[in-house]
Amino acid sequence: MSTERTNPSDKELWRSFVTGPVVSVPITDLEFAAWLEGRLPEWEAARIEAAVAGDPEMRRAALELADILGKPLPQAPARLEVRARTLVGFAVEKRFEQPVEPPAPSRVSLFDWLFAWNRNFALQRAVTLTAAVLLAVSGFMVGGGLSETLAAERYAKNWQTTDPYSSNELTDFLALDSI
Amino acid sequence: MTELNQIDLRALSVGNKRTWDAFVAAAAPLINAVVRRALASYRLNEEDVMDAAQDVFVRLCANDFRLLKTYDPARAGLSTWLAVVARSAAIDHARRRRQATQPIDDVPEALLGVEDRHVEKLKIPQGLLTERQILILKCLYDEERDVADVAQLLRIDAQTVRSTHHKALLRLRAHFGEEPP
Repeated sequence: MSTERTNPSDKELWRSFVTGPVVSVPITDLEFAAWLEGRLPEWEAARIEAAVAGDPEMRRAALELADILGKPLPQAPARLEVRARTLVGFAVEKRFEQPVEPPAPSRVSLFDWLFAWNRNFALQRAVTLTAAVLLAVSGFMVGGGLSETLAAERYAKNWQTTDPYSSNELTDFLALDSI
Repeated sequence: MTELNQIDLRALSVGNKRTWDAFVAAAAPLINAVVRRALASYRLNEEDVMDAAQDVFVRLCANDFRLLKTYDPARAGLSTWLAVVARSAAIDHARRRRQATQPIDDVPEALLGVEDRHVEKLKIPQGLLTERQILILKCLYDEERDVADVAQLLRIDAQTVRSTHHKALLRLRAHFGEEPP
């Protein structure tokens, strides 16, 4: 680093202009950081520079921080990291990691889907409807055939039990008594 | 190790543990350096320095990361903003500590002077010098810094500092006719 110093007579001249204190201008941390990085437009930088020029504490802060930020940093003590890590715990983590469930899609019933007014999936809907009609018709036909068969079987059984020529317990009894 | 500028700020501000740990690892060297430098004149012991550094992290995550949420990456780099926050937190910590533990008669007068926060007004007419010229003269003469330090602060080269300083003095001399008011 340079050890270049300024002329002592210039220094005396400068010091003779300094007078008493006045109220400081509030500067936010973000504004100060932006100024340190040289990101501010000229008019805004001038405002910060006026504040820094007028406040010895801000001047010291600016010079210190510019020096620290321009150099490689030494490793921090492990204890510092360990203590700082404990500040944010697992309860917060758990809250954070709970998956945010997307809003549940509104459930659409099969009936709504089949008879929806829009034209989405028209072919699929037509095929499904045709299949449903075919299934219903074939189901009806099969069901009808079955019932006919059952009715015939029942009739045949009834006819057998009511056959006048067939014997049962009563006729057997009467036959024994020669009636 | 994750760099500070790679930290996911959104995850950090909602308290993600892994992001916080990565942030601590990345920010600890900077916070440590800033706090030590800021407290050098306060003659605190190692435990107090550690507490001051911890206080910076506490401030960042307190009240649901309120301070951290005020950071705007569009305006300044995270490391620079963090350095500014760390320095002011460290100074506050040292002042609180001193107020709580040390009788005022035991504090050297020079150290009390550090707390005397005021703004110096110049007798020179407004507009005679630019804000930058005033700042350069203040850093050179009041803070007794090298030209290189001022150049580093203002992110300009040393020659620009010298020429700005020279022009400022010429204007002052011309205005006051070599004689201070």
